[in-house]
Amino acid sequence: MLLIENIKLAVNAIKINKMRSFLTMLGIIIGISSVIAISSIGASAQKAVEEQFNGVGAGYVYLMPNWYTLDTMTSDMMFTMDDIEALEERFPNDIKYAAPYAYSSCETQVGRTDATLSMMGVNAHYNEFATQIQIVYGRMVNERDVEGSLNSIVIPIEAAKRLYGKENAVGETLPAEAFGSSTDFTIVGVYDIPPSIFNSLDTSTRYTCYVPYSSMMRSDEYFDNLELYVDEDKDVAQTAETICRYLERIKRLDEDTYIYQSAEDQLVAINQVLGYLSLAIGAIAAISLLVGGIGIMNIMLVSVTERTREIGIRKSLGARTKDILTQFLIEAMILAVIGGIIGTALGIGVAALGTSVAGTPLALNMQSILLAVAFSAGVGLCFGFFPARKAARLDPIEALRYE
Amino acid sequence: MSEIINENINAGSENTEKYPEVIGVKNLIKTYANGAIEVQALKGINLTIRQSEFVAIMGTSGSGKSTLMNILGCLDKPTEGEYRLTGIDIREKSDDELSYIRNQQIGFVFQSFNLIPRTSALKNVELPMVYGKVAADKRRARALELLESVGLGERYEHMPNELSGGQRQRVAIARALANDPPIILADEPTGNLDSRSSVEIMEIFTQLNREKGNTVIIVTHEPDIAEFTDRVVVFKDGQIIEDKLTEKGRSSGKEVYKCFL
Repeated sequence: MLLIENIKLAVNAIKINKMRSFLTMLGIIIGISSVIAISSIGASAQKAVEEQFNGVGAGYVYLMPNWYTLDTMTSDMMFTMDDIEALEERFPNDIKYAAPYAYSSCETQVGRTDATLSMMGVNAHYNEFATQIQIVYGRMVNERDVEGSLNSIVIPIEAAKRLYGKENAVGETLPAEAFGSSTDFTIVGVYDIPPSIFNSLDTSTRYTCYVPYSSMMRSDEYFDNLELYVDEDKDVAQTAETICRYLERIKRLDEDTYIYQSAEDQLVAINQVLGYLSLAIGAIAAISLLVGGIGIMNIMLVSVTERTREIGIRKSLGARTKDILTQFLIEAMILAVIGGIIGTALGIGVAALGTSVAGTPLALNMQSILLAVAFSAGVGLCFGFFPARKAARLDPIEALRYE
Repeated sequence: MSEIINENINAGSENTEKYPEVIGVKNLIKTYANGAIEVQALKGINLTIRQSEFVAIMGTSGSGKSTLMNILGCLDKPTEGEYRLTGIDIREKSDDELSYIRNQQIGFVFQSFNLIPRTSALKNVELPMVYGKVAADKRRARALELLESVGLGERYEHMPNELSGGQRQRVAIARALANDPPIILADEPTGNLDSRSSVEIMEIFTQLNREKGNTVIIVTHEPDIAEFTDRVVVFKDGQIIEDKLTEKGRSSGKEVYKCFL
């Protein structure tokens, strides 16, 4: 029988039993919508993570002595400014930015408002590499700040609004208290960070501020971590490896004293976690699709029994076994595909809601949408086959006698 | 007695050419296995029906008439014996081939109408043509024409449950004629109808037989329905006990019945 006739028939049969058809589709709808929602949220999260890492900079490398394997810790293992100079001299093309990793937490009070600040010591032009930092007023920490160890500070726009009641707080004085002593910093810039999945989930009132690293440490001080930005067009891991080995050589240390972490490594690690998560949820979704498929099979069996007489009539009028088989198969498939389409729409809706709450753009995974719809058709085909075959094999005489 | 008549019919060679045999049953036996017991529903039937005959098959329930009807309609196969439908030996045919034969050669009319529920009169009439792979526009035109001819031209969009019993049976007759089959097989077509509708339906069958030359075979247990036909075959206990022309058959002047007279 013609395909179009079968599709019309199936749509008609589904229309006649709207409520039952909907309930039958429910399993597929839930299965498909959860697959779509989760995979879309996953894709969005992955994209957000990638963007975040692009913001941090693909060439980011963090060097540290390998505390996990070293037995003893000596001061010569730590870094000095001389090391940075040596590195910059040896690798002028590879290293674009180098600074000691300096961090401190301090309290501030402006008028009656107080806040906690996370102070990051940076070198000049840090924002050229950490591109998520967008200066909206004033400027970033520059060479003069670093060379003069000036107490210049760049604060986030939220802090400016909270502490000074205005966005442009450039020129204001910010007193920072740490370990009982207070230092007055001059605000030279206000920055903003575009919304991402991380900062929207971060609800702490701690403000990350950037100051010249030289204002946080003496020039002959040792420090245990080193932040670098290397040429990201070359193999970042290779460069980082070379730098570690070079430092060990000039400092006469054992090999593998230093280890590094790169943005790339972390991206890979996070993507791996997200991958496992998707896999686990995919398995759950597959189970719900299986249950949905059994639901379709059940209703199709009921439908075949209910329509035994109709099948008998069709056979007596010349329907071949194949015709009846296709009729019921197509009906099962259309049920499943409609369920799949509704599920897809619902899943996209849920994903859109989820990502808008998290404040990230929705990244639809077209591949998984197509796969989900194709898969639901497959579910219809598989679970519709048994009832359809039962219908097709009915004896016309028995079927015609059926009340 | 039946054998004698059939022999007479077969004897007329002139008749054989002019009125080809549409149904040829020879020594047909049908047994059903009912548990360990074998029940013989038909015990060696011989029956010949020629083109443009109008035949009633009569008998009480359990006489074997329904079994024969199923075999004649290619819904069932004989256990033993021969059945030729318009010359085709159906014993050798597969299920799908039988479907095609039913579709093209036979128009069924049932006691309980057997229209597809929640499907318009038009779609019901189109159905055999769908399975006969007739193009959609031709199908529709033919179905409308047939519904017109049974007096339901304006009700083609009605659902079966919106029609009276007589109207439903007329839709069923229109459907039976869809692929213009040479044979109309009607199983108790008036069984669920009041007497007025019964007469209307029988008049349609008579008209079909007289004007279009279709072979019409009607299974019934009502003698007054059998009176509309030309020839009555009576069954009892799986055998034909009587095969005769009715008053109408004798006066019809049909050449096919000459040898009966």
